[in-house]
Amino acid sequence: MSNAVEVRDILYRAGKAFEIRDLSLNVPTGSVYGFLGPNGSGKTTTIRLLLGLLRPARGRITVLGGDVPKDAPRVLARTGYVPESPHLYPMLTVEQLIRVHASFYPQWDGAWSRDLQRTFRLDGGTRFSSLSKGEKGKLMMLLALAQRPELLLLDEPTDGLDPVVRRDVLSALLDYVSQQNATVFISSHLIHELERICDWVGVMDRGHLVAELPMQSFKSGIKRLRVSNPPPRLGDTPFVILSREPSTGSAETWVVRGWQPPMTQYFEGVGAGLKEVVDLDLEEGFVELLNTFRQPQQ
Amino acid sequence: MFEQIDPRSATPLYAQIAGRLRVAVAAGELRPGEPLPSVRQLASKLRVNPATVVQAYRDLETEGFVEMRQGAGTFVKEVVPERKATERSKQAIDLVRQMIAEAGRLGLTARELQQAIEQELEARIG
Amino acid sequence: MFRTMLFTQWTWARSLILVGTLAAFAIPIVSVHSGDLGSVDSFTVRTYLVTLQGLGIAYPILAGVLGLILGVTAWGPDHQGRHVYALTRPLPRWQYALLRFTAGLVLLALPVFALWISALIASATVKLPVGLTTYPTALALRFALAALVAYAAFSAVAAGTSRTAAYVLSSIAVVLIAQVALSMAATEIDIVSPVAAAVFVWPGPLAVFSGRWMLIDV
Repeated sequence: MSNAVEVRDILYRAGKAFEIRDLSLNVPTGSVYGFLGPNGSGKTTTIRLLLGLLRPARGRITVLGGDVPKDAPRVLARTGYVPESPHLYPMLTVEQLIRVHASFYPQWDGAWSRDLQRTFRLDGGTRFSSLSKGEKGKLMMLLALAQRPELLLLDEPTDGLDPVVRRDVLSALLDYVSQQNATVFISSHLIHELERICDWVGVMDRGHLVAELPMQSFKSGIKRLRVSNPPPRLGDTPFVILSREPSTGSAETWVVRGWQPPMTQYFEGVGAGLKEVVDLDLEEGFVELLNTFRQPQQ
Repeated sequence: MFEQIDPRSATPLYAQIAGRLRVAVAAGELRPGEPLPSVRQLASKLRVNPATVVQAYRDLETEGFVEMRQGAGTFVKEVVPERKATERSKQAIDLVRQMIAEAGRLGLTARELQQAIEQELEARIG
Repeated sequence: MFRTMLFTQWTWARSLILVGTLAAFAIPIVSVHSGDLGSVDSFTVRTYLVTLQGLGIAYPILAGVLGLILGVTAWGPDHQGRHVYALTRPLPRWQYALLRFTAGLVLLALPVFALWISALIASATVKLPVGLTTYPTALALRFALAALVAYAAFSAVAAGTSRTAAYVLSSIAVVLIAQVALSMAATEIDIVSPVAAAVFVWPGPLAVFSGRWMLIDV
């Protein structure tokens, strides 16, 4: 199938305050899809919907060709999950948890599990409740990977972990992705991490998916322009203006999306001068993108 | 060799990786017949998407610096000396372009820049 | 999969099972030797039987306690993690619940078995006067049934949400409080007895617990 995950027109309500409405998203098979969004935008809820932990009021969710939550057990057999907060039995030891988890998956890779246990330096005899936050995160990733899933759903897997642990966890993840044509759906605040590893990005804001596009387009398409003699009134622009701010003198700084080099002609056409085109990194672009959706367009 | 891969740079990651490798081959650091790290190893080590590494290797293959052998890996090819020289001069020009752009942003004149270059080179050679 | 379910529940409940098995083993043997049947005089026999009857309450209590704690520990850890792990297993929920329930039954078999063996030993080692018989297997079966009923009931409540548990407990509390209120108002109305009768007297669901539990009887 071309899309590992397909979500169509989801409506989900939790109480009066929170709602996910008209959510549609596509995760291409074999991609590493980064799921960005501020706190409370609905990222964790979306992941729970994909797992069948929550049921939408309306809409369709298809994961690995199966309907969720109807076919959830069959889908879950091929899906690895790392939740936001640790979900394993606290009184069992690392070794026991590995044994328990392995019993559910016929394709469990015992050799790799032992390998990862060594790399992650996890002592088999320690109880889960006694592990540090980083060790818990590493163990949950170990279980999800050694399962050899076709799809990995990762909810902020490196959140709150120190940089060394984050590197270890991401290296193991990418090692797996290189071996297998697995799909990764990873939500995170750590935009710089996602920049390196994702080839697709989806942005959530207040229960809506506000952007979904290849990572390269997202990064290369967002630019900061320094414009002299800007036109007082803007007609149609070939790019999307995310923000406009006065700069030195009569110049302005514009942040735009969907920029392409031939668009310099636009400025000649309106009698303005384009002084500079600067790339924004993903974090700045993300912030600007969100700001657009929160402020009314001028 | 790959220490400062910067996702925030204007250059895409695959181009940065390919660039480093290109210079290494041209400078003789990587010798003909030597294997490059496997896609899996490099992706894991640099913590980048494996597709990024594959693209870098493919670009290098297209340019004739390496060859990807099915099942065996990617190996450095014998590069013609003129090719090496061309590559080196291209790297030098890229470097100078960046420097000139930066100088422009800082408001330095061409003259000031040239003087500084001569001064520094003399100090190094002399 | 069943093996690991069994393993996890054993880890959580093993102290209880061990204590319960010891208790189940001890009660028949201790109770049988609680009196002296040296002389075969009807007064001694009657006292003996009354003592046995008194000690006999230990059986339903043990059955109830085993059922309660096994039922609760089967589901407790899942509740703690808010069921995220359980609900993301590649199993339909009913299958998962069935595996958990069955694992608990297997563990319950240990004290039941211990009680049966002990009852057989006790029956074999006691010298009985004419007119008295031992009922080791009947006792063991009844114990098994009582433990099963208790386990099933508590398991069902524990497997549910905390809301269902709250409903069940509050219903019981309401009946008891209402009774207390009615008694204090000096009425003769008795609601507890009819409710208790409906539950504890055959054909009520908990009938197996009430009555005399006798290893030795006429």
